[in-house]
Amino acid sequence: MAQFINTLFNGISLSSIILLTSLGLAITFGLMKVINMAHGEFVMIGAYMTYVMQQIFVKFFPENIRDIYYFAAIPFAFLVTFLMGSLLERFIIRRLYGREIDSLLATWGISLILQQAARNIFGAQGVNVTAPSFLNGGITIGGCTFSYNRLFIIFMVALCLFIVWAIMYRSNFGKQMRAVMQNRTMAQCMGINSRKVDNITFSIGSGLAGIAGCSIALLGSIDSTVGQSYIVNSFMAVVLGGVGKLLGTVIGSAIIGSASIFTENYTSSTIAKAIVLLIVIIFLQRRPQGLFVIKSRSLDE
Amino acid sequence: MLEIRNIDSYYGESKVIEGLSLTVPDGKIVGLIGRNGVGKSTTLKSIMGIVRTRGGEIIFDGEDISKKPAYERVKLGIGYVPQGRDIFPQMTVQENLDLGLQPVGGKGTIPDYIFELFPILPKFAKRKGGDLSGGQQQQLAVARALAAKPKILILDEPTEGIQPSIINDIGKAIRRVNSELGISVLLVEQYLDFVLKNTDTVNVMEKGRIIYSGITAESDGSEIQRLMTE
Repeated sequence: MAQFINTLFNGISLSSIILLTSLGLAITFGLMKVINMAHGEFVMIGAYMTYVMQQIFVKFFPENIRDIYYFAAIPFAFLVTFLMGSLLERFIIRRLYGREIDSLLATWGISLILQQAARNIFGAQGVNVTAPSFLNGGITIGGCTFSYNRLFIIFMVALCLFIVWAIMYRSNFGKQMRAVMQNRTMAQCMGINSRKVDNITFSIGSGLAGIAGCSIALLGSIDSTVGQSYIVNSFMAVVLGGVGKLLGTVIGSAIIGSASIFTENYTSSTIAKAIVLLIVIIFLQRRPQGLFVIKSRSLDE
Repeated sequence: MLEIRNIDSYYGESKVIEGLSLTVPDGKIVGLIGRNGVGKSTTLKSIMGIVRTRGGEIIFDGEDISKKPAYERVKLGIGYVPQGRDIFPQMTVQENLDLGLQPVGGKGTIPDYIFELFPILPKFAKRKGGDLSGGQQQQLAVARALAAKPKILILDEPTEGIQPSIINDIGKAIRRVNSELGISVLLVEQYLDFVLKNTDTVNVMEKGRIIYSGITAESDGSEIQRLMTE
């Protein structure tokens, strides 16, 4: 029983990280039909920014307040990846609008460039972030240990999810974004600057990847390919969840995350990967458009 | 109010409209009628800026808008009801209406007269736009275009596929906003009786050109019918 709960907890933990990386992918894909292959590298950049912020604190601040570096790292990572996302959209994605395959290739190229840049700047060797001391340890309930850093990540993901929900469904910008998503031309005819909406949405998606990077920095060593290991799962989660609904992304991530942890627990990590892929393949055979399909009278295309 | 001077419009490389000129005088309802595929919708899309025009000018309120993007043209006071209505299907009726306020920055409230013109809308406020019937969607689309109190209302075949009683309501709504609020109207239609009943001037279009133009009250319906079918 205790082992089951531990596995479940790990499953939720992995799902929440996948969710954080998928959120950005899902909203940019839903809005612009662009698959950003460099999304994983924004995760990597977010993780390195956490490392950078820690180095800054170690160098310039007294030891007793060093722990708060992490709270400075989150907005810093968001800001850096937000700006990089904005530039990427402005100078590359926008020019390939309506050419999905080309933008896929272009962003893949960006992904390779960013990986090499990270190797040049930070070295090929992985770097480590020391988790703030208040995130060390965990609480033990009935033989199950819940580590503070994983609990913190789950909390942070829940907060990000809430903020994204609030932006999409409670703000004027969200209204513009959903209008552009559903009918770009008509949204323009309502006075909505769709280019601006595209740019801000893409930037927010990239910024979320940066925050995801902060959270995975707590879990292991950071190198130039750290984003890759999470991004594959995120792509699967987005495909599984279907486009256009937050709930789809949440459930897609939960399925991928818990399926990998549970099969890994009872078999090995290689078989787990194969089984998760198999689940996705079988599922998409039955429902090619994902879990949540938008149906309505005027969408009979 | 709105004056098109000598515009050429293209779909890709093919020229749909050549050297078209058309005027909507201040406070008037102008009809533009013609068969399928003669370029009526393209004319409206050119005005809105969602079809590219090369050459010519589109003067709105004394300003050439032909180089501006669509979203800026709308902010100058143009309300557009496209063919097929283009309601946002996954948004509620209320959200669709609220989007009508985007040209004025998304702030403010929907003017009361809109609910007077279309009393069914509050009843459907919480339903998804995509779940409404064609007629209901059409009323919503007209209401949405009027929400920001435009100077001109542009309608593309508002009677298409709609039951007669709602066609009547829409006709009444057009005439009321025109006479009471002074909103100019450009109405594209294939339905001749609707145009004869609701417009001040009528233009007949054929192959991207205007072939007849006159005051509706002085025009002979059967003559226009003949021009359209010939």
